[in-house]
Amino acid sequence: MKESRSLRLYARLLELYPPAFLQRHRAEMLQNFADLEGAAPSKAALWLLIGKDLTMSLISHFFASRLGTYVIAVLVAWILLFAIGYFRYGSTPGHPALHAFGGFLLGMLSMYIATRLYGTPQNSSYVIGVLVASILIFTTGYLRYGGTPGHPALQVFGGSLLGMLSIYIKIMLISSQTT
Amino acid sequence: MSKSTPPLPLTPAVFHILLALFGKERHGYDIMQQVKADSGDAVKMGPGTLYGSLDRMIEAGLVAKGDTQDPRRIYYRLTALGQTTLRAETARLSRVALVARRQLGSA
Repeated sequence: MKESRSLRLYARLLELYPPAFLQRHRAEMLQNFADLEGAAPSKAALWLLIGKDLTMSLISHFFASRLGTYVIAVLVAWILLFAIGYFRYGSTPGHPALHAFGGFLLGMLSMYIATRLYGTPQNSSYVIGVLVASILIFTTGYLRYGGTPGHPALQVFGGSLLGMLSIYIKIMLISSQTT
Repeated sequence: MSKSTPPLPLTPAVFHILLALFGKERHGYDIMQQVKADSGDAVKMGPGTLYGSLDRMIEAGLVAKGDTQDPRRIYYRLTALGQTTLRAETARLSRVALVARRQLGSA
């Protein structure tokens, strides 16, 4: 099989699928991609199809997994907390909960992708990488724009750390139960 | 999904895969091309969607793997349940189309 740059990128993106699925279909999927690449009228058309396919099938795989069920449970818990907080205390100026929630989602997503692309949860180098990147982004933002009223950046950052931590712990628990 | 009861209605992806495999074993890329042709370019399936669907269909007993050595070209075929399900879904769609034509004709 001729190794094009697109094929190498696709092989990397395949790592986002669950390991058991990849074990069954990696070779077939790479061959299919090579066939599609050979027949595609343009790279744009090829990646449009592949981008849509990856998004839809990864979402489907994710929400069918135990981790997906956990994420749904966490999101439902957040919505309940929002609702209780809103009805009890009303709308808070500056919307800190919304900022923290946005950060939380980003944190979960970044940690999930890092786990899929850069190894097992037991290998902690990617955790440190994501954490250092988050701190760098936060520090750069703070130095460039200064402290903002109500510190929304801090709320987003705190939320993202919580999100990373929650998904990391769950992945550790799942992998320890399956090994 | 039970192995004895055809699970209807089928999703468009599952229906088209069953249709593509009717009467002929095919490998993944061949299935994708056949689905595209059968649907008049309306259903374009990528590898992720195809193999996710095939896994579920194998689990449901609708499709089985053929005897292939090359892991890059695994062939798939319809099982007896797959054929029954395809016929049942085609009959169901025909009834729906008939009702729709009748309604549209009287409108």
